[in-house]
Amino acid sequence: MMSRRILTVLNLAAAAAMVGAIYMALVQAPAAINLTETDRWAQRIIYFHVPTAWLSMLAFFVTFVAAILYLVRSQPRWDMLARCSAELGVAFTIAATASGSIWAKPAWNTWWTWDPRLTTYTIVLLLYIAYFMLRGAIEEPERRARFASVYSIFAFVSVPITFMSIRWWNTIHPVILDPNEDFGLGPGMTVAFVFCILAFTLLYIALLANRLRLEYTIERVAALRARLLT
Amino acid sequence: MPYLVAAYVVIWLIIFVFILTMNRRLSALDDELTALEEALTRQETR
Repeated sequence: MMSRRILTVLNLAAAAAMVGAIYMALVQAPAAINLTETDRWAQRIIYFHVPTAWLSMLAFFVTFVAAILYLVRSQPRWDMLARCSAELGVAFTIAATASGSIWAKPAWNTWWTWDPRLTTYTIVLLLYIAYFMLRGAIEEPERRARFASVYSIFAFVSVPITFMSIRWWNTIHPVILDPNEDFGLGPGMTVAFVFCILAFTLLYIALLANRLRLEYTIERVAALRARLLT
Repeated sequence: MPYLVAAYVVIWLIIFVFILTMNRRLSALDDELTALEEALTRQETR
């Protein structure tokens, strides 16, 4: 387990990076051109919307890898990592969906449309909510971990489909993560955008480390309780 | 401007609730851990 000092440093670094991300997104990044006043402000939502969407996919990827490692090695810590990362993935999927919906109102004149990206992303969210429902339905820990691992490997198929949906199908959702197109942003915007992606990635690492610490504490309490009763 | 504020508030609210829930659970567990360790020490010295 990570020491408290390292965890504190990580938390402070993530907090500082997030303050930096707010500064980059709201002050440093230049305003978009050829847009109305409302659209110019709304455009700055992407500096937080895209990183939250990226984090949700990263979190589900970590769950996918941890699930494979659990099935290969049968070590409970991999199942623990898979569960904690999936929790963060769900939280960030909700954040990305909500912020995207708010951006869509001025950009598309609607809060929601059944566009391929929005539809596949909703499926991702439902699949991972079902992951937790599955976990809650099985009592025996080893069986629960095994079933959840197999399920999450299949559930992860929906993540690359969601990522590629805006490239494969006709969609009104913009393609931003395209390095060939300089991220589809102006020069000053790219710096702020990449900074926000990195800051959010650091936030994910910090949140995951804290969540894992919580899980280890739960285990330690359970072990001490068992020792006390014997 | 209101859309920008709304989007940032939603994202921060979700992150804040996640951290707050985690912190509350952790501090409750830390208290329980201390109590259990004390009880175990008492049991072993008896």
